[in-house]
Amino acid sequence: MGEHPRQDLLDRFARGRLSLAETRAVLAHLVGGCEVCRAATAATWEVAPAADPSAGTASAVDVADRAADRAYDQVIDRVFWQIQQKDVALQREAAQAREIYDELHRHPIAHQLLLIGNSPRFRSRSLCELLLAKCHEAGFQDPRQAIDLGHLAVGVADRLPADDTPSEIVGGIQARAWAQLGNALRIGGDHAAAGQAFDSATALLDLDPRILPLDRARVLDQLGSLRRDQGRHGEAFRLLDQVIAFYRKLGQWHLLGRALAQKAMVCDEVGDVETEMVLLRQALDLLDPQADPRMFLAARHNLVLALSQSGRHREAFALMYHTRPLYLETGDRLNLVRLRWLEGSVAAGLGQLDRAEMAFREVRDALADLGLAYDAALAGLDLAGVYAAQGRRADTRRVAEEIRVIFQSLSIHREALAAILVFHQAAMQDEAEAQLIDDVARFLKRCRHNPDLRYLRRS
Amino acid sequence: MSALDHPEVEVPLEQLLERVRPRLKSLFARYRIPPQDTEDILQQALLALVYQRPNIRDPEAWLFGTLRNRCLIYWRDRRRRLYDSVDTVVLDWMAAPTPPEQEGADLARDLTRVVDRLPDRCRSLLKLRYGLGYEPPELAKHLGYSQTSISKVTTRCLAALLRQLTVAGLYKKGS
Repeated sequence: MGEHPRQDLLDRFARGRLSLAETRAVLAHLVGGCEVCRAATAATWEVAPAADPSAGTASAVDVADRAADRAYDQVIDRVFWQIQQKDVALQREAAQAREIYDELHRHPIAHQLLLIGNSPRFRSRSLCELLLAKCHEAGFQDPRQAIDLGHLAVGVADRLPADDTPSEIVGGIQARAWAQLGNALRIGGDHAAAGQAFDSATALLDLDPRILPLDRARVLDQLGSLRRDQGRHGEAFRLLDQVIAFYRKLGQWHLLGRALAQKAMVCDEVGDVETEMVLLRQALDLLDPQADPRMFLAARHNLVLALSQSGRHREAFALMYHTRPLYLETGDRLNLVRLRWLEGSVAAGLGQLDRAEMAFREVRDALADLGLAYDAALAGLDLAGVYAAQGRRADTRRVAEEIRVIFQSLSIHREALAAILVFHQAAMQDEAEAQLIDDVARFLKRCRHNPDLRYLRRS
Repeated sequence: MSALDHPEVEVPLEQLLERVRPRLKSLFARYRIPPQDTEDILQQALLALVYQRPNIRDPEAWLFGTLRNRCLIYWRDRRRRLYDSVDTVVLDWMAAPTPPEQEGADLARDLTRVVDRLPDRCRSLLKLRYGLGYEPPELAKHLGYSQTSISKVTTRCLAALLRQLTVAGLYKKGS
């Protein structure tokens, strides 16, 4: 069998770092069945212990020996110093980006795009990050502005200079910029353009396998929202499961909560209320209400609705009662209208039809006042449902006529109008039952973001 | 785990780095990454952290999740190199035995003995590869694998062979 190979040779063998001649010698020795060398290589072979390394501390784990400990310290010192220098530079760059953004923002959008195209001063990674954050925020308030900001972010991301920024960071921000633009286009209702933007984002992810999981998760998360709106629920579930796995692996609990809440929305779309409630409860346990009060409130709101839909009206009422302060804290009028709408739905579920009627009327008027005609018509449908339950046929006919006028004045797609006309016709013939009204209302909510949906009247 | 139990507090980078130092050493030791190889892994992970910090909710959890992933990639890369070398060496042994006759015969016999301890699927594949000199496309065709998966299957069989030579051998003495 010959002499045993030295330990360092066995270590390098396990790491694939020997020359072919050395590999040949070690392999010949091992093939011969040397138990001593098997024992020696066993330690180097087991690389991923079953126990979670993060659970231990240095005192709990045997760091091989003091010499190795010192060697680790030397490396760590060196890296820490370089990283701290980099962090200072990046903070400086972020401060500059805020100034550049203010300067850019003073110009009309066409001029902003021109500046980004022509002046290298505007091509900074920090500016791109800032634009992405602004684009995300604008998505909740002003979809048109969100699309402009998305185009700007893509313009900056695609022109980032080849400096010392690692390529996976650049690839990641480019993919996120395209995805953020796609998300803004989705919110604006342009699914075709959104799909193209996401094609660019996913092509960038495919191009560079080193792009970081957090960037990948963000892109897939937003793509999941598009697939949900498109009614491609299977794909939406698959994408969100990937996102959930990424966040879980990275210990990003708040983001995991967000992804679970997103998945719950897909469950709502497919009518799986039980799973929706399970996911929302998990999400609420993980979401950080201080850091993201809007998301926390949205998850609570959806849970109240799901409870109400599944007939658990008392639970819905209790949760709504405890959630009321959050609506009041957010303070904006639209959120207060949403709360009132929820109160109407829960009251209707509890059979308190007078309260429900009052709430739905207030909501309908407030939404019309805010210029949200589509939502006002939806609240009108809920009101018609209350009238139908009370047998107030004349009131149902009056509301049906109001809704028909609103929808015909809006440039909405054919199927939505068809659903409204089915309801209108039934109301005029005094045949509008609560079930039909509920079906039409649910369809109108879903088809708002998905013009490809077809309305099929339940037989 | 509840976010409410772990309120997010922005920790200065310097403080964060000193706090994670003991866990870093522990992690690298557990994954058996030698100090000289940790520099790249740690630098890449920390660079990504400072670049992505505004988007990261819990930097410490993120850092260790990322490092564990990079340690696994480190080993995957090294194992791939090792499998390539072993494949080349064994093919050389079988194709052109340069050692003296007796030594070559011993090696072939020992190798066959080790291969015989492997599961059927790997035994067939390695015997075709090293006994009859089949190339990957021929292996795929003969064993009914697709051309795209044969390289993965071969890698798994080489991994099984090496485990037999090292760790597994300790527990299967005389088998």
